[in-house]
Amino acid sequence: MTITKLKLNLGPQHPSTHGVLRLILELDGEKILSCEPNVGYLHRGMEKMAEQMSYIQYLPTVDRIDYLAGCFYSELLCRIVEQALNVELPDKVRAIRVMLLELNRIASHLLWTGSFLMDLGATSPFFYTFREREMILKYFEKLTGQRMMYNYFVFGGVRKDIDYLEDVQEIINILPEKIDDYEKIITDNPIFLKRTERKGILDKETALNYAITGVNLRASGVNLDFRNGDYLYKGFDFRTIVLDGKDSWARYKARIMEMRESCNIIHQALEYLKTAPTLEQRLINPLNLKLPEGDYSAQIEAPRGLASCFIRSDGGNEPYRLKWRTGSYYSVNLLRKLLVGEYLNDAIAIAGSLDFILPEVDK
Amino acid sequence: MNWQEFQRIFKDCKLDGNKIIIKSKLHEVISFVTANYTYNILKEIIANDKGDGKTELIYHLFSVDDDEDLFISITVEGETESVTDIFKSAIADENEIYDLFGVKFTGNENLKRLYMPQDWKGFPLRKDYVQDDTRLAWNDDNEA
Repeated sequence: MTITKLKLNLGPQHPSTHGVLRLILELDGEKILSCEPNVGYLHRGMEKMAEQMSYIQYLPTVDRIDYLAGCFYSELLCRIVEQALNVELPDKVRAIRVMLLELNRIASHLLWTGSFLMDLGATSPFFYTFREREMILKYFEKLTGQRMMYNYFVFGGVRKDIDYLEDVQEIINILPEKIDDYEKIITDNPIFLKRTERKGILDKETALNYAITGVNLRASGVNLDFRNGDYLYKGFDFRTIVLDGKDSWARYKARIMEMRESCNIIHQALEYLKTAPTLEQRLINPLNLKLPEGDYSAQIEAPRGLASCFIRSDGGNEPYRLKWRTGSYYSVNLLRKLLVGEYLNDAIAIAGSLDFILPEVDK
Repeated sequence: MNWQEFQRIFKDCKLDGNKIIIKSKLHEVISFVTANYTYNILKEIIANDKGDGKTELIYHLFSVDDDEDLFISITVEGETESVTDIFKSAIADENEIYDLFGVKFTGNENLKRLYMPQDWKGFPLRKDYVQDDTRLAWNDDNEA
């Protein structure tokens, strides 16, 4: 008998659908022999754009790098400018930013939970998670006027003082119960376990070698969370979720646990904000803003792994060079290794469990 | 990391802040620091165009155990050694740099146009890239 290899082109259906990733798989029967990710369908030239825009012009565009967690990228750019100009943030701004970042993280994880289950063929969790995500988006809409591209963080502070704290209180009151509900229908579901347990095993060495960070790395048993030691999170008490499962199920469980932990952080920020005085901001004047000559970099723990930004300034109005590092880009690169030896029908489940988002890959 | 020891082995290097600037032997340096110290993640490779066809590459290594960053900088002209045999994540970084800066990495077999179309001419993040050049048009009819 001769073995015939089949080349299969997995996605995208159409260039304008969302989440356009092309995987070229080589198959032997249903077994995957090799995988070649092909990205670039959403490339918008974020790095090239930066070289022709002043810092304040560029700020609203960075939310688009990851449209599900835009706050993190605004925070990075603001952080670099603040760092370069030696501006220290008031405690209240720090608390506001932490609260919004964590709300954004929960919204992002909720969307992932729904769509991951959708990938596996379960449609109902999608509606449940979107119901809770809607509450968070509604809050963001009330506060910033936007559901996704908030553009709320500005150099040296936030666009306006925080408001509608009772909405946040309601969200964190309801959310833990709702997460319990998800866990009841998902976590020990036999079909879900069959699709995720011992599937897509990512050991510690491989994960580090492929520069995987964030939840995916922590689900492989490495204790690495860039929120520890982050100046924004100073004074907040939270636990780093480290699981030793290494499989798709562990990555799911870690995200669920992280959402609970985020609720905990939001609770602390909220308690502070309830009694905090009115915000007196000393914003950095964005007009004619110039960074001193030199290299600057900043990093943050985004929902999809480590996100960092590098700016080389020549003292002018625009960055001389700006580089983004996004977690998803490395997760997609990992598919080369992780899918090999698995069956075709598990490919989507494994890829889904890594939680990458394509605008972040293509930048 | 032990700077004195490093300098004794690789003489042609200097320290600038938290960045080690080397002139050659990129692969050797990276494999030395990963083998002798605890650096186990290559966070990213940052490329900067220096003009005259020169590109500066900054290798950003990180040690999970010691929570320590290390930057290794090298200026190359069009071609350098790939480190994909040490860090598999470099497949992604090197491919991106090849696509946007035109630096070739010998030993990386996955280099191809990534974001730009296959028949695109020029490398957009280089400073000498001309944006309204008609040669850069997508279809062959416009080729000068």
